[in-house]
Amino acid sequence: MSATLAVLRKDLRLAWRDRSGWLAAASFAAISVLTYSFAFDLAAQDVRPLLPGVLWTTFLFAGIFAGGQSFQREAEQGTFDAMLMAPVPASAIYFGKALSNMLALIVVEVALLLLATILFDTTLITADLILIVAVGTVGYVSLTTLLSTLGSRARARAVLLPALALPLLVPLLIAAVRATGASLGEPAGTAPWTLLLVVFALWSSVGAALLFPMVVER
Amino acid sequence: MSGGDATVAIEARALTKRFGMLTVVDAVDFRLSPGSKTALLGANGAGKTTLLGLLATLVTPSAGAAWIGGESLARPSAALRRRIGVLAHLPMLYEELSALENLTFFARLYGVREAPARIEELLRAVGLWRRRDEPTHVFSRGQHQRLALARALLHTPDVLLLDEPETGLDVAGVALLDELVLTAPGLTVLAATHRVDHVDSWAEGALRLDRGRLVEDTTDRGQSPAGATAAAAVPEGPR
Repeated sequence: MSATLAVLRKDLRLAWRDRSGWLAAASFAAISVLTYSFAFDLAAQDVRPLLPGVLWTTFLFAGIFAGGQSFQREAEQGTFDAMLMAPVPASAIYFGKALSNMLALIVVEVALLLLATILFDTTLITADLILIVAVGTVGYVSLTTLLSTLGSRARARAVLLPALALPLLVPLLIAAVRATGASLGEPAGTAPWTLLLVVFALWSSVGAALLFPMVVER
Repeated sequence: MSGGDATVAIEARALTKRFGMLTVVDAVDFRLSPGSKTALLGANGAGKTTLLGLLATLVTPSAGAAWIGGESLARPSAALRRRIGVLAHLPMLYEELSALENLTFFARLYGVREAPARIEELLRAVGLWRRRDEPTHVFSRGQHQRLALARALLHTPDVLLLDEPETGLDVAGVALLDELVLTAPGLTVLAATHRVDHVDSWAEGALRLDRGRLVEDTTDRGQSPAGATAAAAVPEGPR
């Protein structure tokens, strides 16, 4: 637990010191939402059916953009190897890195929900929606943190992470988009989308923590 | 394969590492006694860094086994990892963190007792105490190496694995390396180096690798590693 906290604190400090990665992700997310807002006629159209897709596409690419950078930097500086040699379980390192990525992405997502609330004139800061976004982020970041490790030593890492992550994230994206739609009052069918999202988040976080020691083995 | 000998600091038996079809470390056998200082020699690509990676538990062997103080590296315990210090080719430091923050982070990972005092002691020893709050990206290569040395010694390891430790160090830095590591009593040192002119001043023996094979071992004969160093100076042709 103390190792996880040490890695979490160190990663958050690094993210704050070198804000370029997360600032670039936040800028990309803001520009995307702004561009979508130009495409819709807010006076004549109900934008709520489109918002779940707009939000999750933006969250997804912002997270992939910034998330891969933290492992890339660790691999280049050799600090990842230094952590692996320490007398702590590899899963503790994984949880520290995943938690820091989740916290940073949730900050970007909340800022984006605020911006979208203004641009689309629709209330998006609700307890329901924030819970769905948080659970979806846990599932999504758990998986992308593991895949970032896998790709950090590859030459084609910029392509590898989205190519590996996107097919695996399809179930999460379907559930997240449908659950977000339901929370905005849109018909989402009878399937328990939020429950599916919770199951995916549990599966991906436990599975990724178990697989991490094998992924880092050379 | 039977267990290791607790009276031997580092032991390798038929230790092998293959990457695909390429055998990088090929059935290497050696034993180093506690407190010994050994040079690991060989041309570029001889397998020195991979051998150190195997002993540092970073690389998993394809065959064979190794022990530190009689404990197998196959499933390294936390206690075993605490016994090993590594100064690798890269400094393994966070550029955006200060010297103090870097050492504090690694002290937490290693569970170093009385960490602030130990960190101060090491930063003073390597001459970086006055610059402890500066981010390491402003440090020179030699200062990086000094801080990396402090990181490697932070948890007071029994065994220190060094990969070209003189890299970037000036004369004072090399003297510091000698004092803190290469001639430190009780510390078992295995250091890969190309500084053959410097080896005789600290090494009691040498292991020489050629294309992954151990071709010379002068560690248990009580003789100078000079013979091995002379051979190591011969450049290797392409594989």
